[in-house]
Amino acid sequence: MAEAFLDPLPWLIVLPLAWASLAFLWGDGRGGRLAIAALAVQLALALILAAQVMAEGARVHAVGGWGAPLGIDLLADGLSVLMLLLTQAVALPLAVYARAYFSEVAQTHFWPLTGFLLAALNALFLSADLFNLYVTLELLSLAAVGLVALGGKPAQAAAALRYLLVSLTASGAYLMGVALIYGAYGTVSLAGLAPLIGPDPPLITRLAAGLMLAGLLAKTALFPFHFWLPPAHGGAAAPVSALLSALVVKASFYMVLRLALGPFAPLAELAALLLGVLGATAILWGSWRALTTHHIKMLVAWSTVAQLGYLFLIFPLLQPGGEALQAGVMQAVAHGLAKAAMFAAAGVLMLSTGRDTLEGLAGVAGRVPVTLFAFGLAGVTLMGLPPSGGFLAKWLLIEAALAQGQWPWVAVIIAGGLLAAAYVFKVLRQAFLLAPAAAHFHPVPRVMEWTAFLLAAASVLIGLRATEGVELLGVEVAP
Amino acid sequence: MNGPARLAVGGLAVALAGALAAAILDLPSAAVDLRGAVAMNLSASGVEHPVTAVLLNFRGYDTLLEIAVLLLALLGMLAVAKPESGGSPPAAADPMLRTLAGVAVPLMILAAGYLLWAGAHRPGGAFQAGAVLAAAAVLLHLAGRLPAWASPKRMLRLGLAGGFLVFLAVSAILLSEGALLRYPLEHAGALILLIEAGLTLSLGLILAGLFLVLAWHPASPSESAGEESKS
Repeated sequence: MAEAFLDPLPWLIVLPLAWASLAFLWGDGRGGRLAIAALAVQLALALILAAQVMAEGARVHAVGGWGAPLGIDLLADGLSVLMLLLTQAVALPLAVYARAYFSEVAQTHFWPLTGFLLAALNALFLSADLFNLYVTLELLSLAAVGLVALGGKPAQAAAALRYLLVSLTASGAYLMGVALIYGAYGTVSLAGLAPLIGPDPPLITRLAAGLMLAGLLAKTALFPFHFWLPPAHGGAAAPVSALLSALVVKASFYMVLRLALGPFAPLAELAALLLGVLGATAILWGSWRALTTHHIKMLVAWSTVAQLGYLFLIFPLLQPGGEALQAGVMQAVAHGLAKAAMFAAAGVLMLSTGRDTLEGLAGVAGRVPVTLFAFGLAGVTLMGLPPSGGFLAKWLLIEAALAQGQWPWVAVIIAGGLLAAAYVFKVLRQAFLLAPAAAHFHPVPRVMEWTAFLLAAASVLIGLRATEGVELLGVEVAP
Repeated sequence: MNGPARLAVGGLAVALAGALAAAILDLPSAAVDLRGAVAMNLSASGVEHPVTAVLLNFRGYDTLLEIAVLLLALLGMLAVAKPESGGSPPAAADPMLRTLAGVAVPLMILAAGYLLWAGAHRPGGAFQAGAVLAAAAVLLHLAGRLPAWASPKRMLRLGLAGGFLVFLAVSAILLSEGALLRYPLEHAGALILLIEAGLTLSLGLILAGLFLVLAWHPASPSESAGEESKS
């Protein structure tokens, strides 16, 4: 009884829901300390769950005790546990960062919105049911839109509204797909659907898969659906941008991957090339826009558009047991940590200089060196230099592409890395210039600098602990 | 939007509609019969109406998250509402409307109570009852008898989140039965009624809030008295 009660799997969903509601009850922007304590517990729970999955294999939790298809099943396999670990590992330092950040900038609703956001992410990564995935996606999107609107400035409200409209349309497309699937097969359980969808499925299944894919791509901001991302991520408060770029866009990518590996595997090949081409375009276009922008957070946001492209390069290379899947998950993890670090560092730079332009950065190297070092380290991951996680991801991708003779992807990966180097050095170069005599720097809480540094260091060092990750990723449901 | 773009979007919509129609006409017979499964397990669900059984028991977890979605929708609106900025007081209400509200609202509360109770064995339940309560609140506001708000005080926040917290607490406590939301058979009916009662109140407040937050005018004197002092 006690063992069932202390099961880490459901608590990863219950705990953030509980602290989010309590933070709402307290009101007035309180709840930061509670959130940090709870996130530390969540990180421990995710680690315990990872150990359990590693030792005993994938775990299923039948909510209500009914079991699919009547009830809803939660599933923790290697892929979900890795995403859960990433979520808690990014969220905990960011919560510490945010507490310091919001002592400088007033807010009232950050903690409850963030709690619901993290609950939605955990629930999404543990879901094994098409409709339940929809519900978690709704929870996630609404929390994300609320967070974008948080500052209340007109530009933020406009970005949030645009994000909301794209998000709702995308959810609608996904939900229509779920309805068609339920009509055709009578179940929405992923495990139940997998044996029912054969190699040559009927039109309704293809249409449903297409609608769901389009919806999820729009939510992931894959080119050409990327237009909502830069204003939303670039305009939000720094801790919010970090959460959105590091985690939220990964959730819909995770769903595409989960569905392509699971019930829709017979159809995945049809879309693989298209996804690869869109990913490649995103890498080149996003990097170019990052290189040509003059605002520091817009640069980081456009870099997200580019880095998301790598995630979709894996689809034309996806083979059972192949390296492409490992590359994709490694990229998601490394980019999550690096982009959280980069937005956190950008937030410090902006608070310090009081400006959001690259020109304003001159002389900042002498004032917040730790932050600048964090920005550079995160840049190392984005460029894909060894030994970072980003290097490993890109290396695995190149290896998979060469093994299958698909060399055009290699050219895109290398070009993307060079462009990333160019836009990262553009920031660093400006920061090392001498400060103009009139420049005035504001003091910034030290803890913000060090949390940014911690995240950046993790994004580099994760490459050294990849073997455990690969082993964990190999844990699937027993057929 | 200009001409060609409109045409393209229109063409896309027509193509989608055509594909949907073709797909529905060619609908294969479902391999899994969930209706049968619901009917078979209805006696073990604690309620007699299949919709309530699915919403609160078989797929109660979805409902738990949906309540969070509704709470979050309100939270998002509160995040953009700016209680600091100025505005104008609302117009005075029609005396006919005030009288009507006085007669209708007690009846609406009674109807909400009935819907809540009826959910166990016929169409009804917390969502319907909450919607009626919300309508009553909107009517009271239009009649000038209930102030709008944009930054709820603690008691109101407790009312807004209370139903969700009760649902969450019951779900978590039932983990000791072996799984999230696993009702013991002998208490299932009572627990579902407890959850639905909490949800009725909270959903009523949340749905009313979606209207009242938009209706809120910052500078009206009757409402600023109810505002929390911001330090």
